[in-house]
Amino acid sequence: MDTLKEIWAYRTMIHALVHKDLRGRYQASVLGFLWTFIVPLCQLLVYTVVFSVIMKSNIEKFYLYLFVALIPWNFFSSCLTAGSGCLLQQKTLVNKIYFPREVIPISFVTSSFVNMLYCEIVVIAVCIFSGIRFSLPGLLSLPLVMAVEYMLALGITMIMSAIDVYFRDMEHILGILSMAWMFLTPIMYDLSRIPKRLLPVFQLNPMTSIVTAYRDILYWGREPQLETLGAAAGMGIVFLTAGFLIFGKLKRRFSEVM
Amino acid sequence: MEDNKDGKLMEETPVVIDVQNVKKKFRIYADGSTSLKERILFRNRRRYEDRWVLKGISFQVRQGEAIGLIGENGCGKSTTLKMLTRILYPNEGTIRMKGRVSSLIELGAGFHPDLSGRENIYTNASIFGLKRQEIDRRLEDIIEFSELEDYIDNPVRTYSSGMYTRLAFAVAINVDADILLVDEILAVGDASFQAKCFHKMQEIKAKGTTIVIVSHALDRIEQICDRTIWIEEGVIRESGLPRNVHPLYMAYMNEKNQSRAEREQRRKEGRKAAENETRRDNKERTGQKREGSGEARVEKVSIQGVDGTEKNSFSPMEPFVIHIDYTAQKKINNAVVGIAVYRSDQTYIYGTNTLIDTSAPVALEEKGQIDLKMDSLPVNNGVYSIDLALHRPDGFNYDFWKEVCRISIADKVQTAGIISVSHRWEIH
Repeated sequence: MDTLKEIWAYRTMIHALVHKDLRGRYQASVLGFLWTFIVPLCQLLVYTVVFSVIMKSNIEKFYLYLFVALIPWNFFSSCLTAGSGCLLQQKTLVNKIYFPREVIPISFVTSSFVNMLYCEIVVIAVCIFSGIRFSLPGLLSLPLVMAVEYMLALGITMIMSAIDVYFRDMEHILGILSMAWMFLTPIMYDLSRIPKRLLPVFQLNPMTSIVTAYRDILYWGREPQLETLGAAAGMGIVFLTAGFLIFGKLKRRFSEVM
Repeated sequence: MEDNKDGKLMEETPVVIDVQNVKKKFRIYADGSTSLKERILFRNRRRYEDRWVLKGISFQVRQGEAIGLIGENGCGKSTTLKMLTRILYPNEGTIRMKGRVSSLIELGAGFHPDLSGRENIYTNASIFGLKRQEIDRRLEDIIEFSELEDYIDNPVRTYSSGMYTRLAFAVAINVDADILLVDEILAVGDASFQAKCFHKMQEIKAKGTTIVIVSHALDRIEQICDRTIWIEEGVIRESGLPRNVHPLYMAYMNEKNQSRAEREQRRKEGRKAAENETRRDNKERTGQKREGSGEARVEKVSIQGVDGTEKNSFSPMEPFVIHIDYTAQKKINNAVVGIAVYRSDQTYIYGTNTLIDTSAPVALEEKGQIDLKMDSLPVNNGVYSIDLALHRPDGFNYDFWKEVCRISIADKVQTAGIISVSHRWEIH
C-alpha cells in the first residue's frame, strides 16, 4: 500500500518518462510523430498484399482479421521481450537515484500502451473504411479489454524485468517464448481450428481471450464474450498482484547486481 | 533552531539522520558470470567472496547540520551515501531518516539529447520526485540559475558540455528537500559558476536544510560543513570539526603516498639505507601540527612590520609582512605557497596561495626567502593563528605547518563582530 502511495507521488516522473520516450523516439527524424501511424499502415499494406495475392486465406478480409489481433499482440510482445530489459536499460538511473523502482516498468508498459492506442486509431479507421459495422456495446467495452491487457502486460513486465536483473538469460528465453506464445494464440488462425480437447488448455492463455475480444469488437462488430473476458481480467489481476509482490521482493538488491 | 552554531540550541534540534551500527557486504563472484548453465551445473560450488565494505558505522545528523564524508577511494563513503539515498540497503543495522530526501548523485539523469532544455528540466526534476506544479513553480528559477534563457527551447544535443552541466546542476540544486545528499559534483562548470553553486549551497544550508556531502575537495567541505566524518576501511576513523579532522586525514594520506612512493623507489633503484634514514628523521620531526614529504621545508617564519622589525601585535588597518625562510632538498619548479588565517575558535578568516593569486607555479631554490606583504588584516580584536603550506599544485604537501605563528590584532576600541571596519558617526 505504501508502495502504491509512493508510486502515485512519482506520477510526474512516470508521465515525464512516457513523454520523453514517445516524443524522443521520432524527434530527430524528418517525419517525426507521423511514424507512429506510418509503421502500422505499412504493416497493414504488407499483410494485404501477402494475404490477398500470395497466401489466399478462406477467411474474408484476412488482412483485417490479422491486423486487429496483431496490434494488441505487438504491444504485449514488446512488453514481454523489450520490457524485460527495461530496468537494465535504465541502469544509471536505478544505480544513482532513489525513486520507487516500479516507476521504470510502469513507464515502459505505459509508453508501449500509448503507442498501441495510436495504432488503434489507425485500426479503427481502417475497419470503418473496410465497411465493418461496429456494435455500440462492443465499442464501449474496448477500453475495458485494453485495461485488462494493460494489467496483464504490466504484471508480466514487472516479474520478468526484475528477474532479468539477476538472471540475464531471461531476455533470450523470453525472445523464444514470445515467438511460441504468438503461435499458441489465435492471431493468424481462428479459435475454431483448435482441436476440441485442447481447447481448455488454450483458454488458460490469457492472451487468447484478449485477442478474441479485440477481434469480436473490431472485426466481427459484436460485443465480446463476457466469460472469457472475465477470465482474462481475473488473470490480469493475478499477474499484476504477483508482479508487485515479486518486484517488491527483488527490488532491494537491484543496484548491487547491476 | 535559527542559530545552529550555538552549541546549546544544537542539542535541542531534532536528529534527522540516525545511522546505527550499519554493516554492508557485497558478494563478489570469482568469475562474474551468472548464466543458466553455470547456475545449474555448479549449483553448490559457486565461488564467491563476501566483502564487507562497511563494518559497523554509527552517526547522527541533526537538522540543519552539514556533514562531510571523506576517505580514500573504496573506503565505503559512497556506499554510505547510497544507503542514505535508499539505493542500497544495509545488511545489518538501521538507518532512520526524517523528511524529504533529495540526492545530487547523478547530474542530468534522464536527459534526452533531442528534447529541448525546458522539456529535459521536467524529466530531470520529476526523477528527483518533484510534482508537475512544483516544477512549474521552480522553472523560472532553474532557467535563470542555468543562465540558459536564450537556449532553453533548443535541443540539449546542441549544448556545449558546460551548458549541459549548468542546466543539470540548476535542476538538481533547485530541488528543495529537508535532507540533501551530495556526491562529488560541486566541481562543475567554470570558476564563476562554481562560485555560484557554492553560494547556492550555503543559501540552502542557511534555510535549515540538512546536508551530507561526499567529496575529496577538503576545502569545500571545510567551507560548508560543520562536521567531517572520516571513514577508513569501513569504520569511522575520526569525526569532528573539519578543521581538526582534515589535517589528520591529510597527514595520513601524505604518509601513505610517501610510503608508496618510497616502495616504488626502493623497487626501482634499490636505494641505500641512508635515504630512508633521512626520511625517518623527517617523520620524527613531524608533529601532529606538521606534516609533509620534507622535499621543501619551512625553516623559520616571522611577522614583521613594514620597517622590517619583528613584532606580533598590529592594529586592524596596519600593514605587515609574513617572512618565510625555507630550504629544499633540490630545486622545485612547480610549488605553491599558501597561507590561512584562523580565529581562535577555528573560524576560517582568510586564505590564499600563489596559485590563486598568480595562477602560475612558484620555483623554490635550495634555500630562499618568501615575503607575503599584507596591506592589513581588518579583523576585530583577538589572536589569530596562521597556517603555512608549501605544496604541489595537486595538493601533495612538502610541508604543511598548522598554527606556525600567531598574530595579535588590537584596536583602540573593542567593537562587535568578526571584521573591523573604519567608520565614523555623524549625528545630526
